[in-house]
Amino acid sequence: MTAYILNLVVLISIYAILSTTLNFIIGYAGIFSLAHAVFFGIGAYTSAFVAMNLTPSFFVAIPIAMVLAALTSLALALPALRVRGEYFVAASLGLQMLAVTLFSEWKGFTGGIGGVIGIPPVEIFGFALVKPWHFLILTLVCLALVIAIIQRLVHTSFGRSLKSIRDSESAALAAGKNITVIKTLSVVLSSSLTALAGGLYAFYMAFINVESFMLATSVLVMAMVIIGGTGTILGPIVGAALLMLLPGALSYLSFLPQTEIGSIQQIIYGSAMVLLMIYRPGGIVSPKTRGEAA
Amino acid sequence: MLLLQLILNGLQVGAIYALTAAGFSLIFGSTKIFHFAHGATFTIAAYLFHYALTNLGLHWTLGVAMAAGGAVLFGILLDRFMYAPIQRHEGSFFTVFVASFGIGIVVENVIGMVFGRSFISVSTSLSRSVELLPDLYVSPLVGLAVLTSLVCFVAVHMFLMHTHAGMALRALSENTELVKTFGLSPRRLSAYAFALGSVLVVPAAIFTASSSGLNPAVGHHVMLISLAATIVGGIGSIRGAAFAGLLIGMVENVALWQVGTQWSEALTFAVLFFFIIFRPSGFFGRAAVS
Repeated sequence: MTAYILNLVVLISIYAILSTTLNFIIGYAGIFSLAHAVFFGIGAYTSAFVAMNLTPSFFVAIPIAMVLAALTSLALALPALRVRGEYFVAASLGLQMLAVTLFSEWKGFTGGIGGVIGIPPVEIFGFALVKPWHFLILTLVCLALVIAIIQRLVHTSFGRSLKSIRDSESAALAAGKNITVIKTLSVVLSSSLTALAGGLYAFYMAFINVESFMLATSVLVMAMVIIGGTGTILGPIVGAALLMLLPGALSYLSFLPQTEIGSIQQIIYGSAMVLLMIYRPGGIVSPKTRGEAA
Repeated sequence: MLLLQLILNGLQVGAIYALTAAGFSLIFGSTKIFHFAHGATFTIAAYLFHYALTNLGLHWTLGVAMAAGGAVLFGILLDRFMYAPIQRHEGSFFTVFVASFGIGIVVENVIGMVFGRSFISVSTSLSRSVELLPDLYVSPLVGLAVLTSLVCFVAVHMFLMHTHAGMALRALSENTELVKTFGLSPRRLSAYAFALGSVLVVPAAIFTASSSGLNPAVGHHVMLISLAATIVGGIGSIRGAAFAGLLIGMVENVALWQVGTQWSEALTFAVLFFFIIFRPSGFFGRAAVS
């Protein structure tokens, strides 16, 4: 039982990093990305590759993964963010589809459909984290760090510029903000932190394949952010916890066909997204007034 | 000969993409609603057609009628009960997109639970290919797909140019306030746009079901094509979306000469990315870079 709970908490924390970083661009910058799982995947595959071929050190594998994800996101964001918001949705959807093909075809790096097996445990200053307990602490520290970084940024002038762009792009432009640069920076930052979650995931599972990095994951993380509440610190974490607990909770309801749990879960969060948008667009944890969350 | 074969396939796929993209572009252009559930409309139409022919054993005309009825009903119901309430209080890009996306997830999974997640295809007497020239296999569907889409485009063009409702729709895409001032109801016009846009995917869904087949997750692919074609063609231009759809279908198929089928989505992305970098306003669009 403790092992089960431990496992769940680690996974929730990893997904909370994903939803927090996605919330940073959706909730504060107003950019909709359907490619979040791509950066998660780049982080995971890169960390696995470095760990197996170079060193399993946390402080080597994770930074390399973050830089790679940052560069990829830069290549996507720089052209796509110059234009209207719809362009980024389209471009990120395209990138997500392309990445799934790439992850399943590039056998030398990703192991193809079969994935990467036997990723060594992560090492911190030469100390290998083998026990789940240790890993839980590492994950929680990373989550806290990510939240702190984003919380800190939101309250700087950069964060205020972001929010002003989200609320009115023309007003921000008139105030002399370089919209493209600010938006691009936020995407690059968010993607590199996403790669951190990917690295943690790879080290924790010791096995990764393309299944974890498909469009369904991007959609799941987006649902976490939206159901929890965009533009808040707590919202995405609540969303991540809720949606990660859902499959377990559903499997207690024995009248549901067990093979369809995945579909039922998706139907539930799909409908939740529709109903929330009609009745409470701010999500569960929504700011006091609607105007703030727009 | 292989190249000719691929060009013919490209023509068929391109005609299908053109119809799908034109439907999305029509809805997006006139109502400004980012109708991500357009892919779900496609899936519903295709599965209704499949159900009518395979499970009920109906004549294909009834199948087409069922698919068209289902698609139009779905489009109008979404407009009436989802987009209208959202637009009443705010209707930012965010809320509309998320709700539309959510309904897409629901439809994909409900269909998956009812019909299973594996590939389906409807075999008709028209799907069978005949050897037209040595090593050149052509099924009558190719001609039919191209012909149908031409007929559809002429019909849409006539509707938009020569009927009152069509002119009002074009006016709606220009200026909603002015349309209201003239005493027309944007809500009713929006219902027209959804009916028309949704019916345009029906032939595309049927041709896909009877040629290459599809599964419940096809909606995302449909959306990628529609979005890419709308951008490549220029936002707000139905003609542009249609040409871009044709272009993407062609590129995907002709490229099979050199690369494997798994790369088709990568090629769509490449075309889209090329346009975003070098001509973000698309073929016929107005300048879009801020």
